[in-house]
Amino acid sequence: MRRWFVIGIPYLWLLVFFLVPFLIVFKISLSDTASAMPPYVPVLDWSDITGFFSQLDFENYGFIFSDSLYTNAYWSSLKIATISTFLTLLIAYPIAYGMARAPKEWQPLLVMLVILPFWTSFLIRVYAWIGILKKEGLLNLFLSNFGVDPLTIHNTVYAVYIGIVYSYLPFMILPLYASLEKINNALLEAAQDLGSPPWKTFWQVTFPLSLPGVLAGCFLVFIPAMGEFVIPDLLGGSDTLMIGKTLWTEFFSNRDWPLASAVAVILLLVLVVPIVLFQRNQQNQQEAGR
Amino acid sequence: MSVAPSDVKPAASPKKQRRTPAPQSGFAPWKDPNAKPIVRFENVTKRFGNFVAVNNISLDIYEREFFALLGPSGCGKTTLLRMLAGFEKPTEGRIIVNGADVTDLAPYERKAVNMMFQSYALFPHMSVERNIGFGLRQDGMPAADIDKRVDEAMTMLELTKFAKRKPHQLSGGQQQRVALARAIAKKPRIMLLDEPLGALDKRLRQTAQFELMHIQESTGTTFIIVTHDQEEAMTVSSRIAVMDHGELVQVSTPGEIYETPQSQYVASFIGDVNILECKVSNVSDSQVELKWVDGDGTFAAQPPPGGVTKDQQVWLALRPEKVRIALDKPADTVNVISGRVDNIGYLGSISHYHVAVGNDERVTALRANAAQAVENTINWENEVWLDWSTDAGVILTR
Repeated sequence: MRRWFVIGIPYLWLLVFFLVPFLIVFKISLSDTASAMPPYVPVLDWSDITGFFSQLDFENYGFIFSDSLYTNAYWSSLKIATISTFLTLLIAYPIAYGMARAPKEWQPLLVMLVILPFWTSFLIRVYAWIGILKKEGLLNLFLSNFGVDPLTIHNTVYAVYIGIVYSYLPFMILPLYASLEKINNALLEAAQDLGSPPWKTFWQVTFPLSLPGVLAGCFLVFIPAMGEFVIPDLLGGSDTLMIGKTLWTEFFSNRDWPLASAVAVILLLVLVVPIVLFQRNQQNQQEAGR
Repeated sequence: MSVAPSDVKPAASPKKQRRTPAPQSGFAPWKDPNAKPIVRFENVTKRFGNFVAVNNISLDIYEREFFALLGPSGCGKTTLLRMLAGFEKPTEGRIIVNGADVTDLAPYERKAVNMMFQSYALFPHMSVERNIGFGLRQDGMPAADIDKRVDEAMTMLELTKFAKRKPHQLSGGQQQRVALARAIAKKPRIMLLDEPLGALDKRLRQTAQFELMHIQESTGTTFIIVTHDQEEAMTVSSRIAVMDHGELVQVSTPGEIYETPQSQYVASFIGDVNILECKVSNVSDSQVELKWVDGDGTFAAQPPPGGVTKDQQVWLALRPEKVRIALDKPADTVNVISGRVDNIGYLGSISHYHVAVGNDERVTALRANAAQAVENTINWENEVWLDWSTDAGVILTR
């Protein structure tokens, strides 16, 4: 009995804070738009349950796929998330590698430095990038010393890449560090002893053994980056199309809750694939660790 | 029993098993002044900060030897081995392998040397056969040849049926054999083994020791093994280097180490030993007379290689199995002391008698329980006489 209670708590949590909200959003996505408070027709009337179901339709979903704005936003998000995940990996790997190879007594300090940015609000850090990247910002001020013309980075997709890579770097570094740090130094010595020079040892031993960390890091960056709203909104300007921003516009500017809900549901479905893969990876890693 | 001929089998321990004969009878290249060593350490010193791990060691190891580096943990034996593999660079001195100076070569450039690691260091993401073939793939060997060599190594170590398994699916003994196969597959001139059997249980370890000896002999490879287990070193090796605090204390055959240790440290590190502090009372060419410091007794023994002078403080080392114990006083007057039985350890085949002698000293005597002795049994608190022959004791000057 007590065991069921303990197991039940997380399930109850998921039910109340995930499944129920999802069902509400899903229900809204099947409703029709109305200029009212709330801006949709409430359809749940228990006295007329068949009428309720008859009013639900997939019209909003049809609309999303007929308007290229939405599909473009999905594709653009997918592209931005993929590229920035890759860039984050490229930058995070050497950092995590250096941390794992650093003297043991330094490592807690280095981990601490990676986590340190979280002590400042995410929003403030993104705003700070505006100050750096804008036309008369710190970066251009610095470059002007060398006679470089001011660069236009703010309000372009490049600023979004910079913002995502910067913001999600710790999520890539930490799992990478965790898997690199576990690699027994004797394995690298054994590889060298058997005739493999250091760079070959990296590709034959270190990198394959860090793959669980690479995958975990990529998912941890890709999944939130896909639905990112704040970074494209603040750094990307009007040119950058991302689904998170489109969603926000539908909800708050157009007040089209049903359509926005449909966008959200599709986004969730798109993300289910990487989320399931991520869970699989975590499970395999835990099993291999035993 | 005679002292120190290298071909005499040492009575290291009652559990000791049959020793397979050396590659050639009379195999002793270290006695041949013309023999060229395959490995030479020349005044090698290794310091880690202020700590001296290896202190000015010079050592020659010859082809086809099974050479053991023996000592307690922290004595520098592993550092010495790692310098030979290339993982540590000597602070001073040179390492010469097969006539060529390898001091500055990286591990992957030292083709003559392969190492088997204490932790085995098997690549967890590769199957057994991929692990064994790893070293061969680095050399760009054709795939067909690699397969052949891997098969050979797997057959030799009875691993064929585990070829597709990953290391974590193997038992400790199987992992140990994979590690050995991986190093031996490269057919190195010199195999380095860092505590290769340390993680195995006792029974498995004995089997593995004989397997190691078999492989060493059948492949003709020079083996250098690091161990802290004196029994293991005695069993497998042609010569043993006993180390302490980064220095070589003695380098000899197992027989010599056991029968003629050169210091109290070596005598007590290998096997059980009784040590009696003495003063030299008379020196002749063939014999040294000693006066026991801690009790009544005069002893005679053969002079040590370095010689002794009158009144010098020395120690007489006596192996328990060479001390006779009796209830009746022996006829001799030299090498005889009396005492009282303090404790008896009955081990079935043999018994240990711990005898209190002199001023609160202990001497252990070992007696085989040859017959079911009902008469003349030695018991607790019995007054007994201990004696030994002149060639049984070894005079130690340090």
